[in-house]
Amino acid sequence: MIKLKIDDREITANSEMTILEAASLAGIEIPAMCHNSDAGHFASCMVCIVRERNGTALIPSCSARVREGMDIVTGDRDIEEARKTALELLLSEHTGDCEAPCRIACPANMDIPLMNSFLAGGMPDRALEVVMRDIAMPSVLGRICPAPCEGACHRKNIDSPVSVCVLKRFAGDAGHPDIAPAPASSTSSATDNNKKIADSSSHPAGRTSPRPVGGKEGTNISASRAGHLTAPPAGGKTVAIIGAGIAGLSAAYYLQKAGLACTIYDNNPEPGGALRYEIDDERLDRETLDRETGMIIGTGARFVPSAAIDKNRFIELVYSSDAVVVATGNLSAETADWGLDHNGKQLLVNKNSLQTSIPNVFAAGNITRSSKLAIRSAAQGKEVAFSIMQFLGGHEPIGEPKLFNSRVGRLRDTEYGVYMTNISREKRIGPSGKDGGFTPEEVVREASRCMHCECLKPDSCTLRILAGRYGASQRRFGFEERKPVRRSFDHEHLVYESGKCIKCGICVRLSAKNGEDPGLTFIGRGYDVEIAVPFEESLDRALKNAGPEIARACPTGALSMKPDKTGMSKPGPLKTDE
Amino acid sequence: MQGNDILNDIDNIVSLSGRDKSAVIAILQAIQNRYNYLPREALKRVCETTSITPAEITGVASFYSQFRFEPAGKHIIKVCAGTACHVKGAMLVHDAMARYMKLDPGQVTDRERMFTLEKVSCLGCCTLAPVVQIDDVTYGHVSANTASSVLKDFLARGGGGKAKKKSGTFGGQLQGEVRVGLGSCCVASGSADIKEAVEESVNRNRIKINIKQVGCVGMCHQVPLVEVITSRNGTTEQKLYAKVDPADIKPIIDRHFQPPSLLTRMKNSIMELAANIQSDDNWEGVERYSIDVREEQVASFLGSQMPIATEHRGVLDPLDLEDYIARGGFRGLKRAIAMKPGEIIEQVKTSGLRGRGGAGFPTGVKWETTASQPGEKVLICNGDEGDPGAFMDRMLLESYPFRVIEGMVIAAKAVDAHEGIFYIRAEYPLAVKRIRSAIEISMEKGLLGENILESGFSFNVRIKEGAGAFVCGEETALIESIEGKRGFPRLRPPFPAVSGLWGKPTLVNNTETFAMVPWILDKGGNEFAAIGTSKSRGTKVFALAGKIRRGGLIEVPMGISVRDIVENIGGGMTGDKKFKAVQIGGPSGGCVPHYLADTPVDFESLLEAGAMMGSGGLVVLDSGDCMVDMARYFLSFTQNESCGKCTFCRVGTRRMLNILDRLCSGKAKAAELAELETLAHQVKQGSLCGLGKTAPNPVLSTLKYFRGEYEAHLEGRCPTGKCKDLITYYVDDECIGCTICAQKCPVDAIAFRPHEKHEIDPGLCTACDICRESCPEGAVKIR
Repeated sequence: MIKLKIDDREITANSEMTILEAASLAGIEIPAMCHNSDAGHFASCMVCIVRERNGTALIPSCSARVREGMDIVTGDRDIEEARKTALELLLSEHTGDCEAPCRIACPANMDIPLMNSFLAGGMPDRALEVVMRDIAMPSVLGRICPAPCEGACHRKNIDSPVSVCVLKRFAGDAGHPDIAPAPASSTSSATDNNKKIADSSSHPAGRTSPRPVGGKEGTNISASRAGHLTAPPAGGKTVAIIGAGIAGLSAAYYLQKAGLACTIYDNNPEPGGALRYEIDDERLDRETLDRETGMIIGTGARFVPSAAIDKNRFIELVYSSDAVVVATGNLSAETADWGLDHNGKQLLVNKNSLQTSIPNVFAAGNITRSSKLAIRSAAQGKEVAFSIMQFLGGHEPIGEPKLFNSRVGRLRDTEYGVYMTNISREKRIGPSGKDGGFTPEEVVREASRCMHCECLKPDSCTLRILAGRYGASQRRFGFEERKPVRRSFDHEHLVYESGKCIKCGICVRLSAKNGEDPGLTFIGRGYDVEIAVPFEESLDRALKNAGPEIARACPTGALSMKPDKTGMSKPGPLKTDE
Repeated sequence: MQGNDILNDIDNIVSLSGRDKSAVIAILQAIQNRYNYLPREALKRVCETTSITPAEITGVASFYSQFRFEPAGKHIIKVCAGTACHVKGAMLVHDAMARYMKLDPGQVTDRERMFTLEKVSCLGCCTLAPVVQIDDVTYGHVSANTASSVLKDFLARGGGGKAKKKSGTFGGQLQGEVRVGLGSCCVASGSADIKEAVEESVNRNRIKINIKQVGCVGMCHQVPLVEVITSRNGTTEQKLYAKVDPADIKPIIDRHFQPPSLLTRMKNSIMELAANIQSDDNWEGVERYSIDVREEQVASFLGSQMPIATEHRGVLDPLDLEDYIARGGFRGLKRAIAMKPGEIIEQVKTSGLRGRGGAGFPTGVKWETTASQPGEKVLICNGDEGDPGAFMDRMLLESYPFRVIEGMVIAAKAVDAHEGIFYIRAEYPLAVKRIRSAIEISMEKGLLGENILESGFSFNVRIKEGAGAFVCGEETALIESIEGKRGFPRLRPPFPAVSGLWGKPTLVNNTETFAMVPWILDKGGNEFAAIGTSKSRGTKVFALAGKIRRGGLIEVPMGISVRDIVENIGGGMTGDKKFKAVQIGGPSGGCVPHYLADTPVDFESLLEAGAMMGSGGLVVLDSGDCMVDMARYFLSFTQNESCGKCTFCRVGTRRMLNILDRLCSGKAKAAELAELETLAHQVKQGSLCGLGKTAPNPVLSTLKYFRGEYEAHLEGRCPTGKCKDLITYYVDDECIGCTICAQKCPVDAIAFRPHEKHEIDPGLCTACDICRESCPEGAVKIR
């Protein structure tokens, strides 16, 4: 046994240990990516670098052994900067979309590909559940949304985008929403389809990660978007929402789902705001609007119609409620007088948390911005719910955590084939159902057109997790044209996307260890090195037994499991990320 | 190719090379020798008949740049891209070759499969730069303009390779000796032909002289060299002829060794020589042989030098053991054999010898560490000299093979190793050949092998040839390579001295380090320590090249100033341009600017100046050399040689190169210069091995001394006019309308207008430099 110091802590360690192991034993987490104890040390990604107190060289802690008298620093400014650089260098050659571009284009960040999977699989209830994680009023938006998602759809380059908006409308119209508040619990639980709550800390807890990627505070981190709002903070909290437009209603929905008691005030007799009083019936029929506003009120929120909120009433609400959401649409002369900072047109709010100049007052919807986009207001309604949860939990409100996204940008002609493998080649379907909606049969056909651009490891990819944590930018070293997108589906259980490979060789070593013949190998060297099957044989032949183990060990989405066990060679309909 | 034939071939190769994993590189080399590429069925057969797996063979074959997976042309054209060649326009030559061969981008073999065009990192003929090698014929001083003539000449020679003639023996008194240099530079410049001409001439004249082939003289700028020693009436006269042409041999021999009856013929011969000088070398400017210089032994070139590793240069026949012993060879070993290991180590420690591979680690300490380990030990001679612009190891192995072997045996005795390996770079076939012969001879004489000098001590060595990977010069990558793996460096510690080849304690020393050892043991550590500076003792061998008059292999005492090397040994600058800087240490090193020319050349001073001893390449740059381009050149080298293991080196050097490319094409923005610097520091700190840790040095040192040039590139200017994208070619009023440029222009950017001033269309011009080079009036200029 030898003695050393890590971050000024005296540690006794076995001399065979690596610095990473010794640190971990002492509860000091060092981020690592290419490290895999089954595959043996290799030291490739260089994210786990640390430094000796008086040295300049950065040492890969995953491979370097402890030495008597070492004095290790695991994170100072230089180290953090170098880690960020290492991540950015890897990202600069990382070819892949973490999320499908449609989802990124969606202001509400709705998981469109997953919705499509369920719709293509004939499961509108589950599709609706996916939609309503992010969009509280799918039928309404399915009619009025200008669908920025469709503008971003990669399929647009090949023929025409997937008809996302009308698909969402179908989900909203045909699915049965589950509006019951989630069971109260004070800690994260796996009850809600594996999505966990935000624990309202600055490092939101997610699922337990299989690898040692823990943060400095010892919390395990995950790329998962802080989960969804399912559990209330200490019970009995109340929120006053001023304005029953789409922003206020959306906020009410997510807060109610989380177990908070919301009261919605509106100066009109009926809820809906601009949806009801500005948009004409042709575009948005009253029946649909009534159904969805009713659904939200039906979660148990109290609606106070024709409520005139003057300055005094407002101040009263600020004092009597735990939090207030201002979602009145325009900044009227009266609202401007409430004592909140504003610029004459909008309220001034923190961009991420939507917090106003009064700490327990938040704002959402058109009153915070000049653009008038219903989906953005709906998104803010959801985001403000995140902030309020965090605020009421005693934490700094930061809104919905933003994840890192790698993006491929525009597809090249030569890549269409990769994307279209096993995908419906049918042209975009014009809806023939009632009032311009799809028939159930059309929905299956149209949803099957989705190319599933999303990564198969959006939540467990270590590169994504760490890129998010270090605020890495994919563009910093974007000097070269990106490498081509490649996806190989020829293995029964695996998908191989070489553009996402970080060349750590875990798969090469595990395939050799498992006696796979021919297995995998490095081809070439330096910048152009790639992982491939020797003699250009198929992946199916290369990995006969160890495929799943190797896919799990791959730190990125380069090697991942096909999404289901039916042998479908494309993602969907059921995503099982882990 | 018949299926069965190939299987039989492979089975033969395997039975000769061995069946375990470490044989993989040798097997691949044998297959490529046989087929000129690696056919897939051959590789599959190897996997069937050995313990090598498909993953291993594919991984290894694709790692080393020597191996090809596609059939190559009948002849391989290697354009040297070493530093000296680069600064003299090797890329223009390469592009001209590609154009002449009508290659599409990415293509390397012409449609007729006659030639395959390759870039090699260094052919080690830096003084003949730019150099092109076609099969075994080397052409020096090639330019874009003469590239096509080279190919034509090669074909006219019938693809190289001539029949050998035997020299007869004659009676009578020995009249003297003719020494022909047979180092690689000399051979490259045609010394084999010279030797043949000497033999022919001697045969014809029936005179009795000793024809001796000698190793490198070091005066590579004057090759091929012929030295004539005549001894008559007790007096010996020495005469050195430089840049000799085979046609000159007859008159030279006649002049010195005339049969008395042929006095008049001799006179005629001298006339003949004069005629030759007048007429012979107007051959399209390719100086394969030229005869413009005849000079006495160059006192100043050799004056400041101090040969230890290169002792008896130009005198020793590389493979003449008696000769070596007669001049004191193996005296050091004899002493060492009688000493205790600790005493040998003590002598080396006293000498202050530091590793000559670049890092300068104290050799004695390394030996001591290795010696103190338990178990069987291994010794490796690192001859994987990959630095473009360095050829010291090659010269030492080729010219002083016995000295290197002697040094290894002494080291083996000191650390008690019984197994030794020469790891020699693939591009050095002559070195491999010489070492192989020298090992055989030494074994026959009891200087190597079992029971050396009847002392009971045994030490056996074998040769492992590299396969083209610069990173294998790094000791841990070299060990991986010997084990038959991809040359991925290992993380140190553990150091090889503790756990190296096959996990055994392993002493890895550079060739030059071993070459110093016999002298130290012979003369004593104190004697060596008396040379050089307080921290850098002894001498250092450098490959001196670039824009100086006299380049070559030099050995100087540590602490000599840069100025002394450039001005006295190098003879100052060629042409009219000013001395700007020396690049020391190649891709791991940096520049010493002209105003720091008094910097002493030793480990510490060079580090302080931002350069590095490195392996010992020393390239002199003049005011026409662009420092941003130099940095880009070295970065493109290291980037290309990165093994690809760690992120900082694999991607980091590539991104640095991207920024340098953008600078050289005027696209970079100011922020990118800062980014380059930040990234350079991080790559230096964060890379796993020496290659990555030193790769940023050429950038950092040029940024330190020549930041102004970088800033000019940000503004879209290349002050030296080197960066193709930032310059415009134009014709000025000196044009006489001779149309040569219009005829030569490969892209028709110059309209054919006899007797009129020509014009270059900048939109079409590719800046290949042919017009400027071929203009008889010097009317083509660069803006």
